[in-house]
Amino acid sequence: MNDYAIDTEALCLSYGNKLALDHLTLRLPRGAVHTFVGANGAGKSSLFRVLLGFEQASAGSARVLGHDATRLTPALRERIGYVNEEHALPGWMRVRELKRMHERQYARWNEARYHEVIRHFNVMPDQRVCELSRGEQAGLNLALALSQCPELLILDEPTLGLDVVAKRVFLDTMLETTLFDNDGATIVFCSHQMDEIERVADNLVILEHGRLRYMNGPADFCERIRLWVAAFPFKTPDVWQLPGVLQAQTIEGHTHLVVFDQDDSFGARLKLLGAQSVQTIPLGLERAVNAFLTCGHAGTSRRAA
Amino acid sequence: MSRRPTVVLQIVTGDPRPIVRQITDGVKRLIAAGELLPGDILPSVRGLAQQLSINPNTVAKAYTELTAEGWLHARAGLGLFVAEQRQRLSDAERARRLGEAVDRFVSDVIGLDYPQQTVLDHVATELARYAARKTA
Repeated sequence: MNDYAIDTEALCLSYGNKLALDHLTLRLPRGAVHTFVGANGAGKSSLFRVLLGFEQASAGSARVLGHDATRLTPALRERIGYVNEEHALPGWMRVRELKRMHERQYARWNEARYHEVIRHFNVMPDQRVCELSRGEQAGLNLALALSQCPELLILDEPTLGLDVVAKRVFLDTMLETTLFDNDGATIVFCSHQMDEIERVADNLVILEHGRLRYMNGPADFCERIRLWVAAFPFKTPDVWQLPGVLQAQTIEGHTHLVVFDQDDSFGARLKLLGAQSVQTIPLGLERAVNAFLTCGHAGTSRRAA
Repeated sequence: MSRRPTVVLQIVTGDPRPIVRQITDGVKRLIAAGELLPGDILPSVRGLAQQLSINPNTVAKAYTELTAEGWLHARAGLGLFVAEQRQRLSDAERARRLGEAVDRFVSDVIGLDYPQQTVLDHVATELARYAARKTA
């Protein structure tokens, strides 16, 4: 047993000519909430598919809870929970039957927890799954996954399409039950909603084009990204020659630069280029992640930004 | 018997200040304002995390920072308490932080174009609120 919940080494996955995962090396320690951010097609879902053994990697290796992901035994699968945005549950089943099925399937099933979670959602045991609303299905799916008491819980955009109340209940229950009752469990949480990420993240993982771009705490990430605003009274220089520039935009004579990993000397550089006034402010997570991803996003060339 | 006052904190997502900072700043403000008194018990990590709908590890981190800086102290098995407040910083460090804060403040308000006296009066009123509570 090693200390990582997820451990990949130069992992590659290709669909035809397209590399969905490009030599991805990723080590996620156990017992924390790891949040994944990335543009569409960054490789998040592909990674989960490989980790869960649904997809065979083209090269490299992937280990889940210390075991080779290509050879997951039923006993090991039991320790991994998975919830994705489709909440693909058998629609023809009644809620009670579905619960009983899971109960039989998972040795560590926690009945009390199931009721604790499901009571937040308006789900009746006699309803068929297909009769439930999207939010109710999400709630049911989460209740099933949490009651399984997984050591690793993978959530791929679980709150997509949920209303504000259901979303809050979903996140609260997830944090409550996994971090406290299920000592040391690991959550992998993937979302495009920065407010959710901010609330739940211990660790921020940014993927781009199947590669790891960043991994650390979300607060550290924000500390390393700043907005600089400079006014160039004469000719605006080519700001892309400056180090760390992620985003550049000129608005009414002021050049706005989002910059990665630069200290105050960046201001001095701007002045050397002829800037008259220079100001800097920190950015929130949403803006910071946005700038970070804009750089390599399809359809945004550096010059046009 | 220690008081267990309600700790009213607001967390805003999308703010440049990370949530940890928002909690530490918030607790310091409550202590400075006299709403939390020495000896008061703070909410548990779990309780505050539930109240704010955030990751409990984030609350734990904020509490650790506050404890390290001497704002709070932990009593094994009993929880976290507001510490007896004393001056924790060296004179040089205090001067540096004051300078920094003033700098920040001035650049925030300079563009608002208020007469200087108006700005000073506002600051004085705000500070007086804390002074009054401290002596109360």
